[in-house]
Amino acid sequence: MPHKAKILAIDAGGTMTDTFIIDEKGEFIVGKAQTTPHDESIGVANSSRDALKYWGMLPEEAFPTIISGIYSGTAMLNRLLERKGKRLGLIVTAGQEDYLRLERGIQTYLGYSYSDRLHVATHRHNEPLIPRERIRGVRERIDLFGDVIIPLYEDEVFQAVEELLDQEVEGICVNLLYSYRNPIHEVKVREIAEKVMEKKGVQVPLFLASELYPVRRDFPRLNTLLVEAYAAEPSRGQLERVQNKVNELGGRFNIRVMASHGGTIGIDAKKLAPTLVSGPIGGVIGGKYLAEKLGIKNVVCTDIGGTSFDLALITDGEFHIKSTPDIARFILNLPLVQIDSVGAGTGTFVRVNPTSNRIELGPDSAGYRIGVSNEQENLDAPTISDCNLVLGLLNPDFFLGGDIKLNKQRAIEVIDEKIAKPLGLNVYDAASGVVRLFEDSLKNQVVAMVLGKGYAPVNYTLLCYGGGGPLHVGGCTEGLDFEDVIIPTWAAGFSAFGCACADFEYRYDRTVDLPIGGIGQLDPMTVSVLLNAAWAELRQKVISQFEKSGIPEDQIKFRHAVRMQYQGQLNDLEFYTRTGEITKKEELDEIVEEFENLYGRIYARSAKSPELGYLVTTAIVTGTVPVEKPDLPNEPLAGPEPPAEAHKGTREVYWRGNWITADIYDMEKVKPGNVLKGLSIVEAPATTFVVPPDQEACLDQYRIFHLRKKVNKFDIGGI
Amino acid sequence: MPKYTRETLKNLLDGKLPFSEVKVMMSSFKDPERFEMMLEIHQSRVPWPEKILLPLGLHLYIVLKENGDRVVKCDCGYEFGDYRKNWKLNALVYVRDTEEKIAEIYPKLMGPDPRWMEIREYYCPGCSTQLEVESVPPGYPVIFDFKPDIDAFYEKWLGKPVPTVE
Ligand SMILES: [Zn+2]
Repeated sequence: MPHKAKILAIDAGGTMTDTFIIDEKGEFIVGKAQTTPHDESIGVANSSRDALKYWGMLPEEAFPTIISGIYSGTAMLNRLLERKGKRLGLIVTAGQEDYLRLERGIQTYLGYSYSDRLHVATHRHNEPLIPRERIRGVRERIDLFGDVIIPLYEDEVFQAVEELLDQEVEGICVNLLYSYRNPIHEVKVREIAEKVMEKKGVQVPLFLASELYPVRRDFPRLNTLLVEAYAAEPSRGQLERVQNKVNELGGRFNIRVMASHGGTIGIDAKKLAPTLVSGPIGGVIGGKYLAEKLGIKNVVCTDIGGTSFDLALITDGEFHIKSTPDIARFILNLPLVQIDSVGAGTGTFVRVNPTSNRIELGPDSAGYRIGVSNEQENLDAPTISDCNLVLGLLNPDFFLGGDIKLNKQRAIEVIDEKIAKPLGLNVYDAASGVVRLFEDSLKNQVVAMVLGKGYAPVNYTLLCYGGGGPLHVGGCTEGLDFEDVIIPTWAAGFSAFGCACADFEYRYDRTVDLPIGGIGQLDPMTVSVLLNAAWAELRQKVISQFEKSGIPEDQIKFRHAVRMQYQGQLNDLEFYTRTGEITKKEELDEIVEEFENLYGRIYARSAKSPELGYLVTTAIVTGTVPVEKPDLPNEPLAGPEPPAEAHKGTREVYWRGNWITADIYDMEKVKPGNVLKGLSIVEAPATTFVVPPDQEACLDQYRIFHLRKKVNKFDIGGI
Repeated sequence: MPKYTRETLKNLLDGKLPFSEVKVMMSSFKDPERFEMMLEIHQSRVPWPEKILLPLGLHLYIVLKENGDRVVKCDCGYEFGDYRKNWKLNALVYVRDTEEKIAEIYPKLMGPDPRWMEIREYYCPGCSTQLEVESVPPGYPVIFDFKPDIDAFYEKWLGKPVPTVE
């Protein structure tokens, strides 16, 4: 039967462009092609062609039926990392000209391992995105209440703009202190700049912080503005080329781009910097979508990849948002789906520390490479994957479906020489110890995150994906009482799947700093009026964005949120409010109560400190328009006994000090309803799922495995 | 275990390696041959024959004399005497303890207040190279930066006998 392509998700990485195409029945194909940095649309077309050959189709045949297309890529990020962005000028409040050279201390060690963070000699300043010679200070001052205490020295602005234009800048950014409170000086700078440009007969774009990122925290705001002007905006042309290519191939859908807040936005979005940070969030969005579909409220999303272990929480159906994330060693003022990332993945190098004679994992890793067992890679330190191979958990003849043959003997020799001998162990105990250490450290991260949010594992379902997820999920959850542990059979492609699940959604934030109660309190109705006004302004921004895509206001589903904190504290919490327009005092009280409850859950009830009152720091509006999302597979249930053709044979596996015979299954041939008893190893081309000896895995109708303790026949009624 | 070429270590010593490379070196385990190779590089660059036991700082080394003495020696060949005595006591010293002297090297108001803090600069009597600077309250004793236990370092850390005269 011919396939009817429905959703296209593109991931244009630094070297390869992956395409993920889903049909109306939830079946999907994955294609790969070389990324073409000078014009990414070529790589996109090639990658789609590669995918569609599995369905015997050409892009020209498949594209016309596609109704939704999502793009994510690393081009902007690379522009930033390689410092190949625009030549910009910057105007700041006089006295702030050295901001980019001084930075915040944290930026000198962002992304470092814990040991390097402590090792001050490794800390290093970033190369500024704008050199000091193209930064001008102008005298002016607006205070934290938004009052003008020093007027703008307009002649200095004239001079600054003239000088910057003489230096042949391609754009001018303006970031004045407290401009989010009162934009009057930035607006004036723009007027003057426009006059100067007209006089000189040159035109360059202007970027005002108060317009693009009207949020508190001066330095991250400046960074965000610069990243927008330096790397994000210049990439808009690439996105347009991809859209043109899609149209050329007969596509009639508008490409959307994944943004940091967890939604997708149009390529004509006013702000593109949020799309630069969206790297690993696809899986979390997929987790949220699965949770909705399966009726689960709380999910721990865990992604075990080659270089990192990423984990995120979905609580009451919502992911958490952090407001000052960092990327490429810049702290930014953008809402980002909160993901904790640990530098530990299946490619992590294993070494024995010569000083302490103990096993050390990473922090560096083989990246996309596998380990010493793949001789062509010329690695000399073994990886977690090498250990898995030695233990019999990985099949040397079926890695990536057999595309890569692994040399188990070499892995044994290297681990013996570099790990086992120095520790005085045999090679199998050494490899087993490494894997346990790896899994324990992941387990500790999971526990810390769940407890840190005020919950216990029993409140959560653990979802595991990523190429290495299914292999280690048993070890990482051992002894933890999760409500359920689920592993989609498409775990290896789950992040791409997740991108395809994202809503078409714009989000706008604005700092409001409205005090409720305590010293300096405002009348509750004044607070309400001001908060309503901020929400209304943000709603208008959302509406005007959707307008560009021809979507009328009545199709937009608005949600309103605030970030709030106790007066005097430093950390605010974000939550949705029931209303976007407060009409009576009770509604404001309800928001305060919601905050109190959330605070009590995350910290401790006894840590609540309402004596000084509250502060609503930020008003937030998101507007969503429904889009087509992938369907989950839905297959009829068979009995618990897997079909004979699914059983590939048996293999000896070294498990915690003993050799055990494992049943080997072909993941594609296991039927929904089948129960696989541990120790079983379920193989698929892109991933390997290990069911530990005391556990069993049941495949449901959506082709999602559920891992649980073996059911004892005496208490079967309890399930 | 990392291994570096002599060329790499020479560039490291001369500050010619790009930071990205230095960072990787700093974050890795120490290469076991490092001390030996660095010593050889230093030895090949000094004009005198005595064996270097330990580099002591920029331009200074603890060397083994023919009679078995261990003395502090400058690249230029000037000797400061036994390493267990503070070499600074045999150096030339220039003390900046007035506003005027401090103004020579710091912009106004950006240097220390000489009533609270003075700057002592130590120079080699042989080649007049500035060897060390300390910033201390007036009257504070001369700081003895480093008195290494050379025997323990060789025997217990490097695991080999400390060089002696044949
Ligand atoms: Zn000298």
